[in-house]
Amino acid sequence: MNNWKIFANGLLKENPTFTLLLGMCPTLGVTSSAGNGLGMGLATTFVLVMSNMVIALVKDFIPDKVRIPAFVVIIATFVSVVEMSMQAYLPSLFASLGLFIPLIVVNCIVLGRAEAFASKNNPFRSILDGLGMGLGFSMALTLLGSVREFLGSGKIFSLAIYPEDYGMLVFVLAPGAFLALGFLIAIINKLKAA
Amino acid sequence: MNKLTVSPSPHVHSGDSVKKNMYGVIIALMPALLASLWFFGVGALVVTLTSVAACLLFEFLIQKYLLNRAPSILDGSAIITGLLLAFNLPSNLPIALIIIGAAVSIGIGKMAFGGLGNNPFNPALVGRVFLLISFPVQMTSWPLPIASRMSYVDALTGATPLAVLKEGVKSGQSMAELTEKIPSSINLFLGNMGGSLGEVAAIALIIGLAYMLIRRIITWHIPVSVIATVLIFTGILHLVDPQQYVSPLFHLLTGGLLLGAIFMATDYVTSPMSHPGMIVFGVGIGVITVLIRVFGAYPEGVSFAILIMNAFTPLINKYIKPKAFGEVAKPVKA
Amino acid sequence: MAKTESTLVNMLLTLLVIAVISGASLGYVYKLTKAPIEQAKAAKQQAAIKDVVPEFDNDPLAEAKTLQSEDGLELKMFPAKKAGELVGVAVETLTNNGFSGEIRIMVGMQPDGTIINYRVLDHKETPGLGSKMEEWFRPQAPKADATADQETSFAKWLYGIKASGGGNRSIVGMNPGKNKMIVSKDGGEVDAITAATISSRAFLDAVVRAYKTYAKEANLSTDAVSGATTKEGGKNYE
Repeated sequence: MNNWKIFANGLLKENPTFTLLLGMCPTLGVTSSAGNGLGMGLATTFVLVMSNMVIALVKDFIPDKVRIPAFVVIIATFVSVVEMSMQAYLPSLFASLGLFIPLIVVNCIVLGRAEAFASKNNPFRSILDGLGMGLGFSMALTLLGSVREFLGSGKIFSLAIYPEDYGMLVFVLAPGAFLALGFLIAIINKLKAA
Repeated sequence: MNKLTVSPSPHVHSGDSVKKNMYGVIIALMPALLASLWFFGVGALVVTLTSVAACLLFEFLIQKYLLNRAPSILDGSAIITGLLLAFNLPSNLPIALIIIGAAVSIGIGKMAFGGLGNNPFNPALVGRVFLLISFPVQMTSWPLPIASRMSYVDALTGATPLAVLKEGVKSGQSMAELTEKIPSSINLFLGNMGGSLGEVAAIALIIGLAYMLIRRIITWHIPVSVIATVLIFTGILHLVDPQQYVSPLFHLLTGGLLLGAIFMATDYVTSPMSHPGMIVFGVGIGVITVLIRVFGAYPEGVSFAILIMNAFTPLINKYIKPKAFGEVAKPVKA
Repeated sequence: MAKTESTLVNMLLTLLVIAVISGASLGYVYKLTKAPIEQAKAAKQQAAIKDVVPEFDNDPLAEAKTLQSEDGLELKMFPAKKAGELVGVAVETLTNNGFSGEIRIMVGMQPDGTIINYRVLDHKETPGLGSKMEEWFRPQAPKADATADQETSFAKWLYGIKASGGGNRSIVGMNPGKNKMIVSKDGGEVDAITAATISSRAFLDAVVRAYKTYAKEANLSTDAVSGATTKEGGKNYE
């Protein structure tokens, strides 16, 4: 597999949200707006790239039987770094994502890529894989966030397209997340099949 | 139609068909429709016509262009969905919202799952709950009966008896104070109160129930178990503290309880198949309805209760199976 | 390079090393971000205070005082002074009576308790309903010109959107010591947010609590307030 393929794999073919259906908690929880989706996606991307890189570097030192606890500690460290930095330098984004940032630790994508890819490949390829998966995840969350924000409150990235009163509130709330995700997956499957 | 169908005996046909039963339900809905026209006049007419027409249109468009099937809009199911959706809406609901509701009912509630027979949730209720959550302002302004006969969107509005009750209890008013604000039982029975257009007239709904029971379109199990559960549950609460909990009769006659129990919980597709299963289903709806009405944030909970129990239907069907003909009950293996 | 064997010593050592390294790096990042995090929090409070009281030249954060409300909640009071004279107070108040969870509001008052402005700091009310309180209780912006209104009136009719102006929505200029600050449905002077009466009640509850707590501190009369709250049967109606 060449480097480009590793990177592109996460974008569409094995897109974590639309194809693998991993990490559904943040996907459904934070995507009430495009901005939140993008912020969460990029935070996850950072964690993915860093943890993939570190795990690929130290994989040979870690005995097999304790690899999962070791991976979790490494991932949790980077998540805490993201949490603290965001609180310090992006307080407004932190206010809207707050609760979900610590949950990146248990996001299946991060541990999944560590286990399935980084523990078997060299650091450079692992970084590429993390970047591809992360960007695929960000893309999906931003798309879902845009759809929900547009249908729910008439805005995209807080930019008003039509007056808020005409929006269908359900899309900003949790049930709308399920509806929007379901239909997005259906459309993407249809496009892929075509 | 030249194909020979081989099927196991008996080969006697009762003349039942999807279409026949569906039109039976439509006939049973007519008394309630007439009552709503009497109380809400023009508004009821506009809402009902828009809803039915939009449901038929979406059914046709989706079947023909999205699913590439032969459209079957005249089997009556889309008409029922349209009627039930309209019955669950306030009679001053603007046209655009009715059309959105119809699109959600048919598109998301029914066709997304594969059409008639495959939908786990009652389509009309999916549409109603979607609208209620999306447009809470428009969906909770209820036209006054009779006074608003000649007007549509600009009708005079007031609160439903259930909303009056919830507001009153929340702000600490005594039951005696509240009883004055609530219409008398006879008015509740006839339907002279604020509410969605098909739910107000208890008597018309009961006539519909009687018709469906006589024609054997439905059995008594679901409606009776829902209603009995609500009566018993609220009756106990009322006996414990009559100052805080209103009488069971009030719960029976207000809101969408009768409409839900008679017409929506009994939908063939989304309710259990066996009679014991139906009773479990009905009891569940009754309990959830009372929990939402008495302890929840919304004044009315019938539609949520039915949707929640719809989700349990496959589970009920799995564990409470109808006995096959000739089968002897076997002791369950531990 | 050969993979490390899964012996007990190896496993313990590896996990220990990893834990020590991540602990150390987290400690370092914590030290690095501690000051900015506090600054960001202070800046948020400062901005909220600036929003709700007249211009001041002291440091309200330094002079802040923690007060106890009647029902035992902790409120923070920030006095705003200009040239040593008290020009207003900002009170960070809260209520638990919301539709879901706590609502925190910064209320700005003149020294006599007349409300100048407010800012919702934190809430979990329903988006599009309870969340409207961020703007609802302020004076209405003057209506856009009539021609623009005309063009959209058909769409408004189609969706049943009614002009939401009029009524007594604004709490600015009211004084909880003199006005009955409960929703008009309960016999008060403030119109509730359409279809969000519970959130509106909770909002006013927080505002009145801010006033009562401040008034007790500053020895203002609270007659009208107690009159207004008897109907609620004390403090909590939920």
